[in-house]
Amino acid sequence: MSPKKQQVFTPPHSPNRSRMVFSGLVLMLILFFILDLFLGSVSIKPGEIIKAIFNNSDDTTKIILTQFRLPKAVTALLVGIALSISGLQMQTLFRNPMAGPYVLGLSSGASLGVAFVILGFSADLSPESIKGFGNWAIAAASWTGAGLVMLLIMMISSRVKNIMTVLILGIMLSSAISAIVSIMQYFSNETMLKAYIIWTMGSLGNLTASQLNVMLLSVLIGVILSLISVKMLNALLLGEDYAKSIGLDVRRSRYVIIAGTSILAGTITAFCGPIGFIGIAVPHLARIIFRTSDHKVLIPGTILAGAIIMLASDIISQMPGSDNILPVNSVTALIGIPVVVWVILRDQKYRDIF
Amino acid sequence: MGNRIKNILSFKGLEIGFTSGKLRHILLPSLNGSAGKGELIAVIGKNGIGKSTLLRTFAGLQALLAGELTIEGKSIAEYSRIQLSAKIGYISTEIIKISNMKVYDLVSLGRFPHTNWLGRIDTVDHNMIMEAISKTGMSEFMNRPITELSDGERQRAMVAMVLAQDAGIMVMDEPTAFLDISSKFEIIQLMHELTRSREKTIIFSTHDLTTAVSQADKIWLLKEQGLIEGAPEDLMLEGVFKTLFDDRKVQFNSNDGSFTIRNDEKGKIVVIGKGVKKYWTEKALLRAGYAVVDSESTVKVEVPSPVNSNWKYKTPAMCQEFDSIYELVNCIRDNNFIS
Repeated sequence: MSPKKQQVFTPPHSPNRSRMVFSGLVLMLILFFILDLFLGSVSIKPGEIIKAIFNNSDDTTKIILTQFRLPKAVTALLVGIALSISGLQMQTLFRNPMAGPYVLGLSSGASLGVAFVILGFSADLSPESIKGFGNWAIAAASWTGAGLVMLLIMMISSRVKNIMTVLILGIMLSSAISAIVSIMQYFSNETMLKAYIIWTMGSLGNLTASQLNVMLLSVLIGVILSLISVKMLNALLLGEDYAKSIGLDVRRSRYVIIAGTSILAGTITAFCGPIGFIGIAVPHLARIIFRTSDHKVLIPGTILAGAIIMLASDIISQMPGSDNILPVNSVTALIGIPVVVWVILRDQKYRDIF
Repeated sequence: MGNRIKNILSFKGLEIGFTSGKLRHILLPSLNGSAGKGELIAVIGKNGIGKSTLLRTFAGLQALLAGELTIEGKSIAEYSRIQLSAKIGYISTEIIKISNMKVYDLVSLGRFPHTNWLGRIDTVDHNMIMEAISKTGMSEFMNRPITELSDGERQRAMVAMVLAQDAGIMVMDEPTAFLDISSKFEIIQLMHELTRSREKTIIFSTHDLTTAVSQADKIWLLKEQGLIEGAPEDLMLEGVFKTLFDDRKVQFNSNDGSFTIRNDEKGKIVVIGKGVKKYWTEKALLRAGYAVVDSESTVKVEVPSPVNSNWKYKTPAMCQEFDSIYELVNCIRDNNFIS
């Protein structure tokens, strides 16, 4: 138990504090977004960037900015938002602080969906060669993959109450899925395999304009679903019995939440590859920042915090001023893992397990 | 007369249990009973008989297998989840642990059936929440995280949540199970108060027969053969409670509704004296395994009186004095006399 802190009177609604924190986060978001545009492998002076924005000239600076940095920054923004919300929704739905799209195998499920499309049908459907409908096919395949894993985890969580057991089963599940993908790779021809391998290396920077459109639209749908879920998520915090007794249609709300989570996590995996530890860590950061369990605050809170952290990870991964680029996956892991470790160590009840 | 106590909940031929696959697992045979407005009803029965299942069936958390269950004259099947939640509130035995949730937040979840799609708390909701919090005596804990509450405080917060739900019936599964004595009485007193001042119908399960008998307006006694319904006093006179336990192990006192564990009788002792000292001396002897009788024993214990401040222990062979019950009982035990 944590030592008793001095009781400070705070009114039940403290809109002022929340409002201040929200404004602060919005400012930070804008700052990091601009920084992400300004910093990159090619160092460009801020003055030139501003000039390029207001100039119609087609110089290199403008091309770098509009063709590379802007799409990449927008991608980072969407990835941060989508993974963080999906993590928050999973943690509440499964009542498991250790839940996240990466650790519980949603990303693997989405990969399997993509593998079916790329390896199963045609190499022509690789992200590079197909526009429009192909992107939607890949997105839909990854939603299905992620959704099926969500349903499986839902079934497991309703039978197994121990948080760590669910986690281990999730890891088993994602290993099994990876094994299936490996077998599929083994039986694929060279062009298909190449297309798939390129996809798995996916990063924030390789998206075409049409892919970005698909992603933008999908994340928008996911965010809308998450806003619809706010009240349901609050009720589900109490567990199934209480949620029902205060009037929640638990079955229907599960479907809405599972759909939203699968769309968000699946879309990101489809276009950017598996990115770990954002989904699990950011909701905890939002809880620390806002000190609440209310999803009316936590959903917008994780949206902002997730976007900021992902933009920051992108800036770090570009190693401003140097020619090297770090894989963004490593940066998110190094940022996310300390948060996860802290959450595990903070709560005494998890210590029993080890 | 019949109109004043309106039946708010009633069931006829009710069969409860579980369905797993196509197998129907009936826990209890057809049950009949009814609850009036503003009644405090205690559900008693031994472990595993189906108390929780019955309460969960009332709250709509479990489907009934047969029979009918009506709430305010309408069958439970006709209620949607949200309509039902406005009629009946439920507190389970599960301890909820949610980090960062304050008492106010918990209680505000009780407003779930009454708020909009986003769950926005308006002035009416806020007033209901504050009222529920003050009614349960939780005002000073309003902003405390629920993970930092004691068991008794958390139980009161749960009651506040159900109170904010504004349902006429409150169903509580063992609300006093892991509470210390003072918290237990606080909760029972609160429940009693709510049935009187708010006309809430409260149905709770308990293992504490003494409390059930002294506080409840009505008792639903669950047995393998079915449900026995009645005021505790009626059931007492009918001798229903005696059949609850193994007579050889537990002795039921139909004067005050208390129970004592019956030990193997080692002998009979006559206790001479009166008042409180006689009462507790008898208790101690019973605990030590002796029957207290009126005359048919040669072994006697005299409790302190104005002329003598010590306990006297007399057998035909000897007479000893002690200055505490503890020493008296120890000596009798050591001698291990056979009467």
